[in-house]
Amino acid sequence: MTVDLPTPRVGVLADRAPEAVRIVLNWGRRYSLWVFNFGLACCAIEFIAASMARHDFIRLGVIPFAPGPRQSDLMVVSGTVTDKMAPAIRRLYEQMPEPKYVISFGACSNSGGPYWDSYCVTKGVDQVIPVDVYVPGCPPRPEALLHGILTLQQQIAAERPGHARSRLRPRPFAPGPVGAGELTRDLVAKPDQPGAGEQRPSGRSPSEPQR
Amino acid sequence: MSVPPGLVTRDVPRQEWRAAAEQARAEGYDFFDWLSAVDQSDAEEDPGLDVVCHLMATGPDAPRPLARLLLRTRVPDGQPLASLTGLFAGAAWAERETHEMFGLPVDGFDDGTGAGLRPLLLPDGFEGTPLRKEFVLAARASKAWPGAKEPGEGEGSRPRRSSSRRRLLPPGVPDPSWGPR
Ligand code: SF4
Repeated sequence: MTVDLPTPRVGVLADRAPEAVRIVLNWGRRYSLWVFNFGLACCAIEFIAASMARHDFIRLGVIPFAPGPRQSDLMVVSGTVTDKMAPAIRRLYEQMPEPKYVISFGACSNSGGPYWDSYCVTKGVDQVIPVDVYVPGCPPRPEALLHGILTLQQQIAAERPGHARSRLRPRPFAPGPVGAGELTRDLVAKPDQPGAGEQRPSGRSPSEPQR
Repeated sequence: MSVPPGLVTRDVPRQEWRAAAEQARAEGYDFFDWLSAVDQSDAEEDPGLDVVCHLMATGPDAPRPLARLLLRTRVPDGQPLASLTGLFAGAAWAERETHEMFGLPVDGFDDGTGAGLRPLLLPDGFEGTPLRKEFVLAARASKAWPGAKEPGEGEGSRPRRSSSRRRLLPPGVPDPSWGPR
């Protein structure tokens, strides 16, 4: 049995909080960013390098890796976004609880990058989801991601709780926050297979000796 | 182009494609690696698609350990090619992909589902064969290309006139009839 739970949102109380409380809330938020790596191509390797011991973004309060989008605050889209993958990115983004932030890492997810001309590459992930920080490069060095994280943390420090930038920005791609019902999907039915159950012919012809 | 060691290339006529694959398997090339095509429709003589199939010998009686064989044939436009799915079941995906990306008709395709050649990777409703050279990359017709077309032409650098180099125009870029850019 499944239970339909609403996506968690920041309560109204946070809006009315006095300045000191806001500072504390923002301070807590910016140094505990559970990160969700949407790794799609070569840039994901640089992202992983940034999460490892040498560059180590945990010291900036970015925690790798959230078990899933529903437990994460920050999505890093690293790699080539294709038109076929775009709906999945959108779906996982909508599953993240507010406040949520997106870093677009690398030329591909910023604008399509070297594959801009391709028939299948989305010309920037910001056509699908709102992006807070763009990190340029092909691929960007892990230091560039660290700088992107610092930039994002400055943005978080300046915002009013309950008014993350992603909620305020005009969203040409969707009317507004999406309800929980739209983010779940029933199990996909197994396609009918006429030959299912029979022994599939092996690649070897019968005349050949079995090894 | 340098040929990697252990790689044999065999050019066969289109009609003998399946027989050549069968013979190669009898020789010990028993592992189907991949199959794809190269668009040679602008070749001087005999234009068409170069269909390439990569086989490997994994058994103990291989000509040499992990010997590799490239089977290649030139298929004129619109002509069908015999399917290898009866020999190597794994060829089904490769043939479906080559069919949808290059528009190569495949004869006798059977992957056990009876559903025939159908799109594998392209989204539903996609029209055209995107890996052919004649496929127009229509993005430039609807949106300004954000990059620099020539070295030194990017934002913040002065455009250089009259470079002696040939102007770069990648294949597939829409011609002026598609509208102003
Ligand atoms: S920006 Fe460059 S390195 Fe990053 S995914 Fe694209 S091609 Fe790969």
